[in-house]
Amino acid sequence: MPIVHLMTDHRRFTDGEAVIEVDGATVGAVITELERRYPGLGEALIHGSSAGVNGEVHSEPEYLAVGPDTDIYFVAPLAGG
Amino acid sequence: MNRTHVSCTVNGDEVDFLTADGTSLLDALRDELGLTGVKEGCGTGDCGACSVLIDGKLNCSCLVFAPEAEGTEILTVEGIAEGDHLHPLQQTFLEGAALQCGICTPGFLVAAKALLDHNPDPSETEIRYALAGNLCRCTGYDKIIRSVHEAAVQLREVAK
Amino acid sequence: MTATENPPTYKWIGTRPIRHDGYDKVTGKARFAADLDLPGQLRGAYLRSPHAHARIVSIDTSAAEAMPGVKSVVTGADFPELAAKNPEHDVSVNVMARDTVLYHGHAVAAVAANTQEAAAAAAAAIVVEYEPLPALFTIDEAMAEGAPLVNETNFTKFVKSDEPSNLGTVTNLERGDVDEAFANADVVIEREFTTASVHQGYIEPHACVVDTGADGKASIWCSSQGHFRVRSSTAEVLGWDVSRIKVTPAEIGGGFGGKTTIYIEPVAVRLSEKAGRPVKIVMSREEVFRATGPAPASKVRARVAANKDGELIALDAWMAYNIGAFGGIAGLIGAMSVASYKFPNLRLEAYSVLTNRPKSAAYRSPSAPHAAFAIESVVDEIAQQLDIDPIELRLKNAAVEGDLTAMGMPHPRIGFIECLEAIRDSEHYRSPVPEGAARGIASGFWFNIGEQSSATVHLNEDGTATVITGSPDIGGSRASMALMAAETLGLDVTRITPLVADTESVGFTDTTEGSRTTFATGMAVVQACRELVDEMRARAATSMGVDLDAVEWVDGEAVAEGQDSMGIPAIAAQAKRTGGPLTATASLNASGAGPSFAVHCCDLEVDEETGHTKVLRYTAAQDAGTAIHPSYVEGQLQGGSVQGIGWALNEEYILNDDGSLDNASFLDYRIPVASDLPMIDTIIVEVPNPSHPYGVRGVGETGIVPPMATLANAISRATGVRLTSLPMSPPNVLRRLNER
Repeated sequence: MPIVHLMTDHRRFTDGEAVIEVDGATVGAVITELERRYPGLGEALIHGSSAGVNGEVHSEPEYLAVGPDTDIYFVAPLAGG
Repeated sequence: MNRTHVSCTVNGDEVDFLTADGTSLLDALRDELGLTGVKEGCGTGDCGACSVLIDGKLNCSCLVFAPEAEGTEILTVEGIAEGDHLHPLQQTFLEGAALQCGICTPGFLVAAKALLDHNPDPSETEIRYALAGNLCRCTGYDKIIRSVHEAAVQLREVAK
Repeated sequence: MTATENPPTYKWIGTRPIRHDGYDKVTGKARFAADLDLPGQLRGAYLRSPHAHARIVSIDTSAAEAMPGVKSVVTGADFPELAAKNPEHDVSVNVMARDTVLYHGHAVAAVAANTQEAAAAAAAAIVVEYEPLPALFTIDEAMAEGAPLVNETNFTKFVKSDEPSNLGTVTNLERGDVDEAFANADVVIEREFTTASVHQGYIEPHACVVDTGADGKASIWCSSQGHFRVRSSTAEVLGWDVSRIKVTPAEIGGGFGGKTTIYIEPVAVRLSEKAGRPVKIVMSREEVFRATGPAPASKVRARVAANKDGELIALDAWMAYNIGAFGGIAGLIGAMSVASYKFPNLRLEAYSVLTNRPKSAAYRSPSAPHAAFAIESVVDEIAQQLDIDPIELRLKNAAVEGDLTAMGMPHPRIGFIECLEAIRDSEHYRSPVPEGAARGIASGFWFNIGEQSSATVHLNEDGTATVITGSPDIGGSRASMALMAAETLGLDVTRITPLVADTESVGFTDTTEGSRTTFATGMAVVQACRELVDEMRARAATSMGVDLDAVEWVDGEAVAEGQDSMGIPAIAAQAKRTGGPLTATASLNASGAGPSFAVHCCDLEVDEETGHTKVLRYTAAQDAGTAIHPSYVEGQLQGGSVQGIGWALNEEYILNDDGSLDNASFLDYRIPVASDLPMIDTIIVEVPNPSHPYGVRGVGETGIVPPMATLANAISRATGVRLTSLPMSPPNVLRRLNER
């Protein structure tokens, strides 16, 4: 199952849990499952996160496929100047 | 509205135009003569983007009233090349990557030309101080200084 | 000078052709937004708030409307109200105040008239009744218990919040056990750092020319880092469909992040609509300083714990960013940018704080310079205290691939160690420190972003190619596009014309920001060129009468066994016969932008009588992945370094008591000039980014991150005084020296 890593601020939805196994074939499916388990977390991730997967940061990653051993790091959307 | 008639030579051409009271030479060059190569970066003489030569002397055209140009010879960036033949400064700026956004480049070319017209063999320090009235925010000045130096070398070669 | 690991051999990448747009720029022909004029155009001028915070009780534009030459007037009432949650809400209010003015200089009304003078006179004749409100200018004031609200429509992001607040964001990042680590450390250094607002300082003021037609459409020419964003933001602010607006990017005279947003375009559109004439708005330099976004001021308290052998075991930092009158995510990004060292234990608490000052905007690596100034200074102090060489200390603790960033994600392949080694082995670092001078080292990085880009490649009838992208060129990126196309196609770079097209002529492309252009737009160019190569192979196969599989592409030619090879001109000449024009397009949402690390080294001397700092020698080493056009990579390193030097030594916003800017000119907001500086030597390190076809890492932003600490560290070693407040200008340095 994909493994989700949450930034500190998102752990307020999970009672402090930082690393969670969550099933899903895409990042979007994982987020939906997270919202089911921890109401409010999915919403927060959809609106405020990019996903770091396999060393690459993806913005708006809903349809990104993830495998059974994938680590997904939800990070804040990056910008620049 | 009071308009003053001004006759002068710009980039080797005799020109004349009408200008309203209070108009700067910068605005007259851009708006009356279409010489938009002369840029406004600040309008208060602090950035040098509007640099022109008036009778061979370096000036911020934003600090000159248009009527003051009467009877003078003005050089803008548009007059530095000879037709299609770039001046060595323009060529070294291109080869030396001395421009990034290019907004300050016209002013630097005019100021550098003024320097080399008077001092054909300037040291790095002399180049830096001669160009201290021209602001650049993109390059950190390094490649500009190197390009001016290289142009000076080339001009001295040609002069021999 | 470059330090490269296993460099592949490229034919075009890494060369230094003259940039294609360069000739126009050295002859004065290049057209920036203020250089464009439309027949019948009007000039626009603003009325701006004289108060830092006030309710607008009434606006009477009748006197202005009656003045000769005035053709239209707009106020906040001319723009739709956007919902507070609309991503463009803050931009919309910043473009034109609604019922409240939020900073001195906030736009209140605008006038279009036949001449600039008439427009300005009419704007000044607009009568506004204000009811002043309490105004806050500093982090301390805005965070104080019971502080009045800066902006009643701001709700703190990322936390549950039903009440408006002066906090834009609150962020916490943690790992390990910070308190335990500090309790057991051999060395603890704690310092508080403050920085002032600084402006990006682009030499070209914001400018646009707008024409609206009876068909309800608008054409905008403007100075911008992202014309697709100009289109979408302007449309949203006006309440229009995006398809009603066409934006053509003029050449841009500097941006550095400050032109990734909009200020004047919706106002110009509305004025043009109401007048039925084109409208040109050019900001004055004073307006640029008073009313466009500087980088935030900041306060950072940083505490670092180390073992006596130099292992950095814990970081505890409190960070606050003064972001002006509208919410933003500066604090979050600043905290996330803590990622250079392993720090097994880490705790970051970061805030973005609203005050009644202009809305801050991005300035190269936004928020990272503030964090790096603090952390790199404290790390240096630890090196001094433990008597360990500052490069050795960093090498011992440097993050490598797999180490976690502050946000918890592992780094991909990064080149921090390589940059440290490049400086350690450099001629500069090996040379003795000059008599009377001192040397400082510091590091920094930026994540860089990917995002969306499109590219189209046309093969012309004569075998030349045109490469079209939607990325405004702020530093020479067109040359890089041409080089990547040349390499992919096998075509001489001088036979390629790179262009930046308007919003109707190229696919959607995100803004030139985040050091993304050579990376993401380059990726789109490469992809389009690869498709074109496949198409050319297919055409050659047809011409040769062989199967596609039999045709290889070698050095710009289609090659098949037993056949004469066909070069690009020959294939182009047969285009119609073999299927039609040869064009390829690619669009992508790029991921895998690799971080670019940098290490800077500076020798300087401090005049203890005047407090003046003279930079004697400066070297910047930075990881470019692969330097496509080395001259323009060097240019980014040099430009960023000098902006950082200005930020460190002299630049600051000086506010009057009423919140107005005291130094709103280049005379008094003094950026570095040529005589302030030595040459800026560069070392391009190349640790290729595995996610880009040519290994590219964006380089545009990182350069501004190390300089402040680089200089503070050198000044500390020169004077024995650790400066923690920017700028380190002569009066500030003198004051600290006299306290010794």
